[in-house]
Amino acid sequence: MASQVSKLNYVDAKLGAPTSGQQTTRYIYDTVLPGAGGTNVTFFQNFAGKTQFETNLTTNKLDSMESMVIKSIYLSCFQGDLGSLTVTGHLNLNIFVGNQCVLKDFNPSFNSSSRGLAFDRLHSGVNEARIIEVRLLTDIVIPPQVNFKATLELAENTALVDSKLTLGLKGYGKIFSAGMSF
Amino acid sequence: MAISAQDKMIYVANKLGLSSLQNMQGSTRVIYDQQTTAALEHTLFAGAAQRNFPLTNLGANGNQFQVNEALLVEQIGFFIPDAADGENYLGIGATDISVKFDLVIGNKTVMKDVVVETGGQQAFYNDGAVPSSVLTLEGVGILIPPQVEFYVRASTFFRNSRIASSQRLGCYLFGTSALLNFNTTI
Repeated sequence: MASQVSKLNYVDAKLGAPTSGQQTTRYIYDTVLPGAGGTNVTFFQNFAGKTQFETNLTTNKLDSMESMVIKSIYLSCFQGDLGSLTVTGHLNLNIFVGNQCVLKDFNPSFNSSSRGLAFDRLHSGVNEARIIEVRLLTDIVIPPQVNFKATLELAENTALVDSKLTLGLKGYGKIFSAGMSF
Repeated sequence: MAISAQDKMIYVANKLGLSSLQNMQGSTRVIYDQQTTAALEHTLFAGAAQRNFPLTNLGANGNQFQVNEALLVEQIGFFIPDAADGENYLGIGATDISVKFDLVIGNKTVMKDVVVETGGQQAFYNDGAVPSSVLTLEGVGILIPPQVEFYVRASTFFRNSRIASSQRLGCYLFGTSALLNFNTTI
């Protein structure tokens, strides 16, 4: 089976993108306010007015010499004052790269909290209803300069006006390097 | 060397004459369905096209995948909806329930009289101190091909007394998948 490294090289080469660059582990994230009672949010779409801790991107595409593999998905929520928002109820997550759906109607909530339903054999023992991380079985590439976004639907409408949801994508990646890789 | 999930998907697809499946978008997928009325026996995924999110995530295609979409089932988990709205749920361990089930694909029973025991898989499963509600398939997994109906027939019983128990019930199938892609895999 192809590794993250060889898959990224293969796809970059297929697309004519540079395969040189500094190899690294990449983590990109975005934070969205669903609004009171909100159940549908879109990540990696609007970046205006967000702090460096709410997102580490300024546009919804990677730079011309950068690409990455999505291997892990992290989702967390801030309940807001007196809020009860959690990520334990059913969720519907879609990730789009370009005009293509690469993760379809995915329900990561089975990995949340400790209910004995985790996909991962060695799931965290933390009984946390506000944090999920899922390790994907497949390496999915975000090539350079291709728009991407993620949509999430929540079954429960418990968000308050100040509730926040953060989605992070982690995996092997390449970042711009002016010279040789170090 | 062990065969990979992708290898098995392509092998089975080629056997079925689905030579273009290898050009589809590889992904990870979980599909689930639930019945929020308590009963002794449930047939899950059948008729899912009549249900909306959050009761299921199968959408209008219901219990068959569209053209060039497939799922290699690698894990099967059962859960108990905590209310009729189907928005949230517990593991089967919360009520000390085990689930006996058949997985049927097309007109073929591919898993027969299998039981997901509460707290099974303890040797290699850790989800805090909570009993496992998941079965990891041995071998590489079982492929659900495109446009073939599938369903899970399940019945619930108490783990300790082995007496039938009427419960709400949900099931997820998790594994490597292919999504329809008209061009090439990115």
